[in-house]
Amino acid sequence: MFSALARITFRTQLAYRSQLWALLFSGFIGVVARVSIWSAVYGGPGEVAGVTLTEMITYAIIGGTVLSSWDATQVVREVGTLIRSGDIAAHLLRPFHYPIALLAEQVGIRLFNLLLVALPVTLVSMLVYGIVPPASPAHALIFLGLVAISVLIIFATGIIFALLSFWVLDVLTLEWFMRGMLAVFSGGLVPLWFFPPVLAQFVGALPFAYITYYPMAAYLGVESVGDTALMLLGGVAWVVALSAFIAWLWSRLTHRLVVQGG
Amino acid sequence: MLQTLPVLWHLARLKARTNLEYRSGLVIAWVAQAFGYAGVYAAIWIITSRFERLGGWVWPEIALMLGFHVFAYALGACFTLVQLRGMDELVRRGGFDALLVRPIHPWLYLVFSGFNIEYGGHFALGLLLMFWAMPLLDVTWSLPLVLQFVGSIISAALLTGALLTMLGASAMVLGRSRYLFGIYFDFWEIARYPLTIFAPALQLVLLTVVPLAFMAYVPVAVILDKPVPLLGGWAWLATLLAGPVVALLAAFYWRACEGRYQSGGG
Repeated sequence: MFSALARITFRTQLAYRSQLWALLFSGFIGVVARVSIWSAVYGGPGEVAGVTLTEMITYAIIGGTVLSSWDATQVVREVGTLIRSGDIAAHLLRPFHYPIALLAEQVGIRLFNLLLVALPVTLVSMLVYGIVPPASPAHALIFLGLVAISVLIIFATGIIFALLSFWVLDVLTLEWFMRGMLAVFSGGLVPLWFFPPVLAQFVGALPFAYITYYPMAAYLGVESVGDTALMLLGGVAWVVALSAFIAWLWSRLTHRLVVQGG
Repeated sequence: MLQTLPVLWHLARLKARTNLEYRSGLVIAWVAQAFGYAGVYAAIWIITSRFERLGGWVWPEIALMLGFHVFAYALGACFTLVQLRGMDELVRRGGFDALLVRPIHPWLYLVFSGFNIEYGGHFALGLLLMFWAMPLLDVTWSLPLVLQFVGSIISAALLTGALLTMLGASAMVLGRSRYLFGIYFDFWEIARYPLTIFAPALQLVLLTVVPLAFMAYVPVAVILDKPVPLLGGWAWLATLLAGPVVALLAAFYWRACEGRYQSGGG
């Protein structure tokens, strides 16, 4: 059931060719902007906070494509609309757990973006700007694990905000709050090593840093292999905690749901 | 035209009153949208606080630019964004045909009947940033400079409205136009940074084909007396003319698209 749903959403995305070109273009413009920012502030070779410009360009390219968080807002909007219109009731009749079905659909969209948008943009950007390879094979392996954690945490966050719209009703408000929060806390635009120390400590303790910052820190080998493996464990713990929270929210929501008419 | 004005005013008032029915929701939406922008601005602040300058601009200068950007955008978008982003849906479902037979120009009807007061957070954030930054900057305000500042905000708002109109009008020919708005916002986002950080080719694009450099960078550089690439001493005039010129182009473009429009549904 899970893979069937993921496959369907993947194929639905494929149907919109013009949208695919727009996404590729957007992805590339995003990378150009990020690389331009870091090239401007570095002003040449050299290290800042122990990180070189080429490493920052690598962070900008992979972090802005493979690990970007933009599609989390999509799930908030879609589920929020279902809740507001009452169509969410139809999903309760189906023979699967709705949050898991949501995750399957989002995995389909994510795979589509990864294969047809993020990877081509990354490859072209690599050829244009150049990137550094992972710090070591062990770091590379942990990075792959953290990419999976990143995807799960993006969607857990998206689903939590989406379900909150059951109480708040205005989905756009929630979407904007989430956008603002992820812009800083995910490390998507600026890595935590450039944050003021107190803020970095605070943001590092939140799950959102697993969306972009921790996977890229693993890729670049900022910490030793042992410490990077601990990061991965921390990510797994957050996924479990957020999943439990979603299950609790979902049970509260279904108890409160009243369907009128038909 | 004079007979149309009271109708337009009435349409805009109706929409505003509808929004005001849910006052607390409206205020929360304003706060949320301002928070969404503030998140990105905080990230830019972190960069400038660490590196001191971005493209030769210090944080108060960038804050003025960000404030200008969001304020001028909101001024243009409250008349156009939501209304024209929905054009492809209108065309596809045949709703645009109904607008064509009304005794009022369809663009005027769309723009005023959809007048959106949900940009309060944008305006507040823009004003806050500009008023915070101005005393920290070495700007000697004179009457011509104040007029230049106000004129360039109006020009940038016109530019926003004109570009969004052109994107919306494309739906009459292409059927789908929503993805074009995505591309617009990609350029709109990079227009929040000093133009000098980009490669010369991209600078040229942002000053000509997609003239979003006039959304904030050029006008604020003029106020701060900073050199503007390619435009040099003409930057002050270019920033005042950008909005009206693109608005004129948008009017021609709308008319051309309307001429080629074939009903999509109904």
